[in-house]
Amino acid sequence: MARPDRNQRLAANIIEIAAVSKVYDTTSRGRHVALSEISLDVAQGQFVSILGPSGCGKSTLLYIVGGFIEATGGSVRVGGAPVTGPGPDRGPVFQEFALFPWKTVLGNVMYGPLQQGLSKGEAQARARELLELVHLKSFEGFYPKELSGGMKQRVALARTLAYQPKILLMDEPFGALDALTRKHLQNELLEIWERDRKTVMFVTHSVEEAVFLSDRVFVMSTSPGRIRKVFDVALPRPRVRAELLVDRRYQEMVVAIERLMDEQERELG
Amino acid sequence: MARLQSVPGVSALIACLALLLIWDALARAFAVSGLPPPWDALRQLPSLLSDPETLINILASLRRMAIGFFAALACAVPIGLMMGRSATVAALFNPLFMVIYPVPKAALMPLIMLWIGIGDMAKVLVIFLGVSLPVVYHAFQGARAVEEKMLWSAAAMGLSARARLLRVVLPAALPEIMVGARTGVVLALITMVTSEMIARQTGVGNIFFTALDMAQYDTVYAMIIVIGVLGFACDWGFEAVRRVAVAWAEPSHQIAVGSA
Repeated sequence: MARPDRNQRLAANIIEIAAVSKVYDTTSRGRHVALSEISLDVAQGQFVSILGPSGCGKSTLLYIVGGFIEATGGSVRVGGAPVTGPGPDRGPVFQEFALFPWKTVLGNVMYGPLQQGLSKGEAQARARELLELVHLKSFEGFYPKELSGGMKQRVALARTLAYQPKILLMDEPFGALDALTRKHLQNELLEIWERDRKTVMFVTHSVEEAVFLSDRVFVMSTSPGRIRKVFDVALPRPRVRAELLVDRRYQEMVVAIERLMDEQERELG
Repeated sequence: MARLQSVPGVSALIACLALLLIWDALARAFAVSGLPPPWDALRQLPSLLSDPETLINILASLRRMAIGFFAALACAVPIGLMMGRSATVAALFNPLFMVIYPVPKAALMPLIMLWIGIGDMAKVLVIFLGVSLPVVYHAFQGARAVEEKMLWSAAAMGLSARARLLRVVLPAALPEIMVGARTGVVLALITMVTSEMIARQTGVGNIFFTALDMAQYDTVYAMIIVIGVLGFACDWGFEAVRRVAVAWAEPSHQIAVGSA
């Protein structure tokens, strides 16, 4: 019975990262090991966070899954197939927003659907639907430079959701926003996620953010970047921030992760 | 100054008047035949501009300038963009441009005339060379500065490398390309006049230098005014186009244009 069980597990894991390494050979500073033998699996429909201090290679890992950069060792499989480059099954959302500044809000969100061969009318309809979802319906004619950071990131999220990726790859998406906007967007992200429970890989350095959003939290340590510990967040959904803050399980997990990260810092110190 | 700038054109008018006054003062002070007072030059303008010969010459000049300018854009923009996105292409072209850059393009006129004669083609080619370099340079800078994450976002949507160059790098670099093109407009005018100085057949430069040879200084200065106005009009026209084309850009590019 071991065989079917294993197959079942493989089918359920949409992202399989096996012994992935990333080594930079620089002429000036020699060999730098950014990632060392990272292995982790993400189940279909799971929200996972990669948590770690800056420089631990957590974004690098996300970029490798996205196919934007190549690993120097190991393998990454998405939906069973090895990753050879970027593809519309994995939609990135970056801290820098990376919107197309020459396109309006609507034009940005329509870009992916048009690329997929939808007619202009269909793309427009889908884009408008998503803009409504991120509460930016009345801003469709604006250019990115006319928007605040929070609005830009909402547009970026809508733009990525518009081409219906199976996996969202979020690279510190709320890192450039103020605390209040950040909270709003975390809530909105969870609301959107609850609708269809896409697989999400979320990179952050905020412990609260990781625990609040995720099903699992992978804590990374730095130089070389590796997975230090995995936390399963067994908190009920849908999550409400005010309720979580007084929930013992939430508090204990945040404290446990904080301790682990402090420990790490001391080791390096 | 704020009130002065609130009425469009007033500051330019004041600057022109001041220039005429200084010119007038200098002409009176030195009283040489090579520097007639501004009034004498201005008086030449109506007769000069009502002469169909002059208009034909100006149009011939502008035609060559436009052909050279747009041909340069068509070649320089793709080269610059590819240099900005590929280290190999940059390594290939950079030394070439480093060599060509300090050479005054008009100084190549005699050589070019030996190759392809003294006709329109030689002058267009010189204008082409003059405009190409700043456009290549700015397209290169613009392409190099394109945010990596923007290209990744496009790649995730399924855009191929070629589609990304055309549909992401080109529009993203456009504000910077426009800065280069604006410098190019001015250089096109300069190389146009100098090319016509060396190969005199038609054109604004032809009238100018023929008048100079014949010591018709009123006409010489009238032509300087004509060339100045042409330059101003070209720049104004280009700036109007630029403002609309890259209205979406962050204001940093506008500052760059102002100092270009």
